[in-house]
Amino acid sequence: MQSSLLGSRSLNSYNRAMETICIEGLRKTYRIYRKREGLKASIKGLFRREYRTVEAVRGIDLSVDQGEFVAFLGPNGAGKTTTLKLLSGVISPTSGTARVLGHIPWRRENAYRRRFALVMGQKNQLWWDLPAQESFRLHQQIYRIDPHDFATRRDELVDLLEVRQLLGQPVRELSLGERMKMELIAALLHSPEVLFLDEPTIGLDVVAQHNIQNFLRYYQQLKKISILLTSHYMKDVVALCNRVVIVAQGVIIHDGSLAGIVDRFSGHKVITLQFADHNLPHDLEKYGEIIEEQPPRIKLRVEKQNVTSSLGAILQRHPIEDVSVEDLPLEQVIAEMFSIARQGHPHELETSSTSDS
Amino acid sequence: MNEVQTDTTREQIHPRPDYGRVFLTFARNSLVRDMTFRSNFIIETISSLSWMFMNLGFYLLIFSYTNVIGVATGWTQYQFFVFFATVAIVNSLVQTFFMPNAQEFSEMIRTGNLDFALLKPIDTQFLISLQKVNWSGLGNTGFALLLLVFSLGKLYSEQAGFRIYPIQMILYPFYIVCGITILYSLMIALSATSVWLGRNQSLYNFWFYITNFSRYPMEIYGGPSGDARRWIGQSLKSFFSYCIPVLLAVNVPARLLAKPLDPNNLSLALYAVFGTVVSFSVSRMFFYRALRSYRSTGS
Amino acid sequence: MSQITWKDDRALLATLQGKIATWGTILRICIEERLVYRGDFALGTLMRFLPIVTQIFLWGSIFQNVAGKIAGYTYDNIIAYYLLTMVARAFSSMPGLASGIAGEIRDGSVKKYLIQPIDMIGFLLLNRVAHKLVYYGVAIGPFALVFFLCRSFFPSAPPMETIIAFSASLFMSFLLGFFLEAAIGLIGFWFLEVSSLLFVYMLFNFFFSGHMFPLDVLPYPWNYVFEAMPLQYLAYFPAAVWLGKIEGDQLISALWIEAAWILFFIVICRVAFRRGVRRYSGFGG
Repeated sequence: MQSSLLGSRSLNSYNRAMETICIEGLRKTYRIYRKREGLKASIKGLFRREYRTVEAVRGIDLSVDQGEFVAFLGPNGAGKTTTLKLLSGVISPTSGTARVLGHIPWRRENAYRRRFALVMGQKNQLWWDLPAQESFRLHQQIYRIDPHDFATRRDELVDLLEVRQLLGQPVRELSLGERMKMELIAALLHSPEVLFLDEPTIGLDVVAQHNIQNFLRYYQQLKKISILLTSHYMKDVVALCNRVVIVAQGVIIHDGSLAGIVDRFSGHKVITLQFADHNLPHDLEKYGEIIEEQPPRIKLRVEKQNVTSSLGAILQRHPIEDVSVEDLPLEQVIAEMFSIARQGHPHELETSSTSDS
Repeated sequence: MNEVQTDTTREQIHPRPDYGRVFLTFARNSLVRDMTFRSNFIIETISSLSWMFMNLGFYLLIFSYTNVIGVATGWTQYQFFVFFATVAIVNSLVQTFFMPNAQEFSEMIRTGNLDFALLKPIDTQFLISLQKVNWSGLGNTGFALLLLVFSLGKLYSEQAGFRIYPIQMILYPFYIVCGITILYSLMIALSATSVWLGRNQSLYNFWFYITNFSRYPMEIYGGPSGDARRWIGQSLKSFFSYCIPVLLAVNVPARLLAKPLDPNNLSLALYAVFGTVVSFSVSRMFFYRALRSYRSTGS
Repeated sequence: MSQITWKDDRALLATLQGKIATWGTILRICIEERLVYRGDFALGTLMRFLPIVTQIFLWGSIFQNVAGKIAGYTYDNIIAYYLLTMVARAFSSMPGLASGIAGEIRDGSVKKYLIQPIDMIGFLLLNRVAHKLVYYGVAIGPFALVFFLCRSFFPSAPPMETIIAFSASLFMSFLLGFFLEAAIGLIGFWFLEVSSLLFVYMLFNFFFSGHMFPLDVLPYPWNYVFEAMPLQYLAYFPAAVWLGKIEGDQLISALWIEAAWILFFIVICRVAFRRGVRRYSGFGG
């Protein structure tokens, strides 16, 4: 695009300024002890252990610019969380490189650790038996946040999330949603430039989910930080992210806009027909699969390239009152995609090895 | 761009956290927590104290049958009580500051909660080792100090020529700190093994079994010539003095006060300093080696 | 009439067979589960003997100044006593039992025993039997080695009756240890946080069971006080039986008293479990 206009040197510096996250060929494999069934095998396991190798991440390339809000979607065990853990330096990769804000995450330099935050919906980092404000104060000291900045940011966050009256309550007495809000405040107190969110709305009710989404959208636009989010809830993704990265079996299978997914991965459209009376014709199956039949209405799933011809044929032969052509719902397309991906690869690449260790 | 620039300057102004203040916050938060579960706190304090009374009772029982442990070792009743008080001081301080954390460390590895510790811009070993303080352990320290003063008073009034010099008063706390460091280093290294072993209750327990050797005067590790006990005892003594120097953790400070004139003291004291530095460095290397193998399971 | 009884018998036999099969499966699964943690096993067993080493040296130093016996124990007797309490503890100690029960009550997983047709105490007992069987399978090696090395502390084998009484006391110490600790774990139905209570129990157990020193070394009246408590059966009693400290009628009556203690704690467990469950469902928790 712009590369033809700029020299190669200036291209590099241009990229560095805008690019927050840059991942190349990232891989992570684990070795797990395989437990065999049966008593005999258990005894054998005392002396000889079998391991299998699980490839959690199998070569990911990704580039995220400053201010982007990117969603990571994928079925369970696709490698989303592993990727976030690699980027936050919690674990080291088997091979490949990654740079976040110019740092290599798994070196765990303090300079890097001051500039990002990780929030996990399934784990909590606040002291369980103490009020959240005590944990915040500890954060202030660990991150060495200027007392004035600390007070301003805490008040700002507390007001945005409407949790002021809960600050003095022990964390264990808070509801899941309230706890998540406190986790977010703790993570944002040092004003990170990059935020990793792993299932931030898991287990929350609709209202709490909505609150957290609103907050994240507002905060991201206000601070122009980069956010990488994994979630199971399509609603989170639709509400927040303009870019979606789909991971399955440890590799990226789509990177682009949400709407692009439907264009790219769905070969079908849905035609809804409304007839004049309740007598539906019986030959509609030849045009496509019937998904729903509620006389006088019927829904057909038709291959994209046949939509015009099928529609023409139907309109010619039957009295139709109303007609609409729509894309398949997003959830359905993604579910289909996951199941295709799962069939394409065996669930875990089993390169079993034995060892006497 | 602006945002990035200000952050760099912020980085330069505050290169690292103020470890003293962070530790005070840990201690304060733990105290707040202990005070919310006050009855637990009281029960724990009383039961650790009664554990100490029971041990003391056991040694009183022994000294009702003999007036010295071993032949010509110099460990008469009140000298031995100085030793026992030193055991209690070192152990109660380890229990107060490090034990809850080492235990928690294994648990964090198992549950994957270590993740958060690894994100913090602070020395990970510092954070892991000191974030909780078990205040109820200090009851024993207090009692042990009383016992120490009482026994020293007894020795002073009953044993001719027994004196305490200022240099002893300075060196004693120094060697207590060395002893704690040695025991802590072993403990953190053992709990770090859960990275490889998964459920590691046993290796953490290993600490109790090894440090058990440190609870007695080193003179007991010997025996009559010709007996197998002689060479086994000698080997144990050498191994736990020079390889894993847990035997020095209590023996060096206790001898310093109870048997200041013992000719072996100087070499032992010098080696204890060396042993402390080496133990701590090795455990630190081991700790970071373990973190590299951390897999962050239990998502 | 008789027809019906016969049918009933057969049905009863069938359910009994079914029950035995179920318990058999549970036992097998428990054994398999225990075997997975092989590292724990091998290390754990060896480490248990480390404190004995210090005892050998400590008492060696003490006996250097004592001619003959301390409270009827020679040096060899004392060391033999510690080794024998190790055997007794291998039967009577129940690591993690009480805290496990209390934990299951606290986090609500105790519900699974209320839903599934499994008796909680029975299940845990089988689990423990499996645990112990596997443990003995692995531990027999280290135990044999240590006793071989320390054979000089056992000058002669006791008479047959003593060995039988010793075996009985070991078996009963397992049952007593189990039901005693299960009863403590069930306190969790009433007090959610039992960890400090367990701490106190462990402490007293270590001391009053005779693990630290022979209880009859204590001066009067303490020796009588301690020997009246059930904890002495967990370590002191089997060792004292082997060493011939308790003999004849005294031995027989002591075994009966131990049996009575076991029965007492079985009843306590039953009652506590039933009441606890009622209280628990009362919460709707």
